Amino acid sequence: MAEDPESSLQLPPSTAAEGEGPTEGSPETVTPEPPSSAAVSPGTEEPVGDTKKKIDILLKAVGDTPIMKTKKWAVERTRTIQGLIDFIKKFLKLVASEQLFIYVNQSFAPSPDQEVGTLYECFGSDGKLVLHYCKSQAWG
Amino acid sequence: MGRWLKRSVRGARIRRVEGKERGKYCGHYPIGLLFDLLASSSALPWNITVHFKSFPEKDLLHCPSKDVIEAHFMSCVKEADALKHKSQVINEMQKKDHKQLWMGLQNDRFDQFWAINRKLMEYPAEENGFRYIPFRIYQTTTERPFIQKLFRPVAPDGQLHTLGDLLKEVCPSAVAPEDGEKKNQVMIHGIEPMLETPLQWLSEHLSYPDNFLHISIIPQPTD
Repeated sequence: MAEDPESSLQLPPSTAAEGEGPTEGSPETVTPEPPSSAAVSPGTEEPVGDTKKKIDILLKAVGDTPIMKTKKWAVERTRTIQGLIDFIKKFLKLVASEQLFIYVNQSFAPSPDQEVGTLYECFGSDGKLVLHYCKSQAWG
Repeated sequence: MGRWLKRSVRGARIRRVEGKERGKYCGHYPIGLLFDLLASSSALPWNITVHFKSFPEKDLLHCPSKDVIEAHFMSCVKEADALKHKSQVINEMQKKDHKQLWMGLQNDRFDQFWAINRKLMEYPAEENGFRYIPFRIYQTTTERPFIQKLFRPVAPDGQLHTLGDLLKEVCPSAVAPEDGEKKNQVMIHGIEPMLETPLQWLSEHLSYPDNFLHISIIPQPTD
């Protein structure tokens, strides 16, 4: 049975990021989470344990930035943008000194300490958060 | 150092701050927010320690140049407009307008800043306010950096949502029960606005220069 190449893979835990060999996480077929109250009316208070759920992120390359083989990832809500940047750089085998920019809505670059869960709540749609990444400043 | 302390304007940004209560704080938070969150019971001027060496690389974001601060500021403004206007207003502006916004803030030029910022505070005549309100709620008692969610300024029946409505929805622990004792202060720019204040009004008049309402929830000081 062929594995769906677009299935959500688990992002390796952030503790595995520094100083370790490239780990891409074990391929797992994860059932996508049902869309939260993103982009609809003010949501009700999150049920306890909601912060533990992962959110789906779709990564899109801009310009001549290398395209990731796996674009769809299930990520913990508390993962920061900086953590995501570090991961993509490792995945694409970029040098640490090379810059990588991440954009939401193709319009703004969230601050590196921002949590992806918050971005998903505010700017997610169709059950996922679309992020564009680029080696240069694409949208200022 | 003196130059930064002269900035009693709450929109000022500082590289790294050590408060008495907490070790280190994000260097890109507005200084007024940091004061409300960490030291609101202190007398002004606020004594802070500014470090120029031994940057804690692992804990904090690096802030190597004014360009980085400018880029971060503009990103916040863009994010706020994404919420308020689906980015339509900020995208219609020219690069020089963005630059004027930053230069007005950097040089304390109120008129220069507001010539551009007023456009970000407008909304279509047929609406009663922005699409969503840009806000962030900070609490020293939780792990999360801040709460930010989608919240409309106007209810479906046309009533304006208030600050109290916002808190009840996204941070109910901050609001005291009807007959309960007031446990927290809800602070913006060092003052406690009445919870009945319409959120739309607060967003237009009490936002920081980055167009966000930065709201601090701090324990009620004991006399």
